[in-house]
Amino acid sequence: MAITLNVNGARREAAHGERNLLSFLRFDLGLTGTKYGCGEGLCGACTVLVDGQALRSCMTTVGAVAGGEVTTIEGLSPGTSVEDLHPVQRAFVEEQAMQCGYCIPGFIMGAVGLLNRRPDASAGEIREALAEHMCRCGTYQRIAAAVERAASGGGAS
Amino acid sequence: MTTSEHALASPSTAPLRIVGDVTVGFPASRTGYGQATYGNTQPQTERATWIAVWADGGVTAYAGKVEYGQNIRTGLAIEVADELRVGLDDVEVVLGDTDRVPWDMGTFGSQSTARVGWQLRKAAATAREAIMALASDRLDLPVSDLEASAGEVRPKADPSRGISYADLLAGQSIEREIAERPTVFGPSEFTLMGRAQRQRVDALDRVTGRAVYSQDVLPQGVLYASILRPPAYGARPTRIDLSAAERMPGVVRVVDEGDLIAVLGESDEAAALGARAAVIDWQLREGQPSRFDMPALLVASGVDGYAVQEAGDLDEGFRAASSVIESTYYIPYIAPAPMEPRAAVAVWEGDRLTVWAGTQRPFGIRQELAAAFGIEESRVRVIAPEIGGGFGAKSPYGLAIEAARLAKVAGQSVRVAFTRVEETMWSNFRPAAIVRIKSGFDAQGRITAWQSDAYHSGERVMIGRRGADTPYDVPHVRSLVYRSDSPLPSGSYRSLGAAVNHFAREAHMDEIAEAAGLDPVELRLRNLSHPRFRRVLETAASDFGWSGSRLGEGRGAGIALGIDVGSYVATAVELSVTGRDVRVHRVQASLDCGLVVNPEGALNQMEGSIVMGLGGTLFEASDFEDGRLLNAGFARYRVPRIVDTPRIDVRFVGDDTDPSTGAGEPGLVPLSAAVTGAVWGATGVRHRELPVTRHL
Ligand code: FES
Ligand code: FES
Repeated sequence: MAITLNVNGARREAAHGERNLLSFLRFDLGLTGTKYGCGEGLCGACTVLVDGQALRSCMTTVGAVAGGEVTTIEGLSPGTSVEDLHPVQRAFVEEQAMQCGYCIPGFIMGAVGLLNRRPDASAGEIREALAEHMCRCGTYQRIAAAVERAASGGGAS
Repeated sequence: MTTSEHALASPSTAPLRIVGDVTVGFPASRTGYGQATYGNTQPQTERATWIAVWADGGVTAYAGKVEYGQNIRTGLAIEVADELRVGLDDVEVVLGDTDRVPWDMGTFGSQSTARVGWQLRKAAATAREAIMALASDRLDLPVSDLEASAGEVRPKADPSRGISYADLLAGQSIEREIAERPTVFGPSEFTLMGRAQRQRVDALDRVTGRAVYSQDVLPQGVLYASILRPPAYGARPTRIDLSAAERMPGVVRVVDEGDLIAVLGESDEAAALGARAAVIDWQLREGQPSRFDMPALLVASGVDGYAVQEAGDLDEGFRAASSVIESTYYIPYIAPAPMEPRAAVAVWEGDRLTVWAGTQRPFGIRQELAAAFGIEESRVRVIAPEIGGGFGAKSPYGLAIEAARLAKVAGQSVRVAFTRVEETMWSNFRPAAIVRIKSGFDAQGRITAWQSDAYHSGERVMIGRRGADTPYDVPHVRSLVYRSDSPLPSGSYRSLGAAVNHFAREAHMDEIAEAAGLDPVELRLRNLSHPRFRRVLETAASDFGWSGSRLGEGRGAGIALGIDVGSYVATAVELSVTGRDVRVHRVQASLDCGLVVNPEGALNQMEGSIVMGLGGTLFEASDFEDGRLLNAGFARYRVPRIVDTPRIDVRFVGDDTDPSTGAGEPGLVPLSAAVTGAVWGATGVRHRELPVTRHL
């Protein structure tokens, strides 16, 4: 049965409630900024926000989030220039916290979710919260620095 | 990368084109590493456009390399912008599209800056000279009285009379061959090279999710394939029944070509559900070795012992020694595990084939596709979009052919994508290896004899040979590398076998130091005359504040050195060991990679390779039994996380006047021995087998 949900502020329709949220976002809506890394909830590449909280989209269905507001990396900011980025995105640019970049949207969404909850998260809390994310390129030192920068600079939105 | 109009236009329409030989894209001579490793891919045309300068003064640079995290797009843009004296924002770099860029053997061996960067610098300097010549005519001044700056040519005497490149190029159509010896700028004249850049040129696309990776290529109407792959290596189907799969909703067709069994669906979900309804009986191949058989298998099956290094007379060397020690080091297979599993999309238009594939060698894949379908290479276009990590493993890319075969059968475009488990199982592993070292040394710790026998699994001999020679001053030395059987598919990995060979050698140096009663740094210096090696070691030791291996209270320090892709490196590590937990506190590295074009990029690469090295040293090993891979998913294969990451500091100590060498791989090579040396400092136990945490 068709089901509707809110994605990045727009109402969208899915064929049925059992549709995997990650597949729905990527293949049905073409929002490919949310990545597939493992499909098992272990890498964080697929992280999106649901009502401001970080969630692994690969582990859930459209039906499970239908009542909420889903935000993907595409919906975080206009992103036309560095100036209009979300503070967390901007911090990643400034710290050059990326190599291949494949994990980065997931890290950004995870960090935004954390800072929504704890705008002044400490360095230790940031590492703890992001421990569920993987970056095989090993960009962790810069990712930590970026999120710390955003936290002290008021990264929450 | 968002592409501009220039990037999509044909360079032949640009008012200034710089063309040149494409064979700089060889990573080595035709008989060298690339040739031995990847077969005989050859350029179809010997010349190509490297740089186009457009009517609005914008610049496009073309390179056959691909971007999989090494940030070459920024590095190449810096080189071109600096030589052409335009802004970094004015340069766009087009990579990895076989229809648009110069032929290239592949992106591996850290050759991008060294070879292609140099070619582009020469091309950019040639372009600048051509533009200066136009200005000289226009201003009626000799070129020596002019200077190029910020996209303008100005009389030195009167900079206000500058003419923009766009103005100079209006109405022109100039094609120039890359000059043999153009005047490139020296380090004192650099405005961008060697300077910290505010950001990567592709940063915005990466933080907004706009960067398109091969997993993200989804043309209208593409069919999703689920391929039914064997559950174990060597398994063969004995019964295939796809009738139920074919009837599943959303399944468009099923394909059974013997070696390729697939369900094609309108959606990923339909294909996956269809595949689940397929009934296949698999016959397993019996009697395959398991992980526990590896050490013995490596030695027993070793053939073709090749002398990577041989000098003096070992017997004489051992006679001259006052002590002789012998040790064996074992390194299991590990998985590259890039974050992006491979994906490919194939589209046929008549007999023209386009394939998107996140491969490190688009031209090689083009050749394979042309051969598979018996068509001219000119009918095949391979586009490598952004690649979510490769680390050497994404050179082979069988999915490209699978996608093209299925698209041909279906008469429609087809996408094939690996799951995480498929990516691990059907990629290739860093070879397992065993290294035996016997050394003799005198009472002062001077090494008189060094005998090393290394057995690396797999057919590709160059992998095991890399880094198997010792840089120490040993008069009597023999280092042999054997090729051994490989139960798992083995292949390239960051630094190939160099990290493995370095681990054995440097760990052994620590054992000599202990036996000779010397500090590990002192022991190394006593046996090391090469100034670039000495400099990296001394810098790392002093930046680290080296004070010996044993720091007390479960803490230890370790240090090691090495060379890879022409770059000299030394690394010191401090860690503590509690029970079975190793906590690495800090890593201090020094790198001499000659001229550093993009310091921030090189730093990022060093940091990343150190983190990757920690994984293989501390946690990672691929387990297998009876042809089955036991830890293909991340639930059972531990890779470093942010909480495992120490503080990492890197200092570049090379000279600007030395040519640029690689920065993406050397960080890996000294790391394992530095860690095991520190573990010894902390616990008094020598670890000659990786990963360390399995043996605590
Ligand atoms: S893809 Fe969802 S956690 Fe890895
Ligand atoms: S930047 Fe490549 S996986 Fe994180």
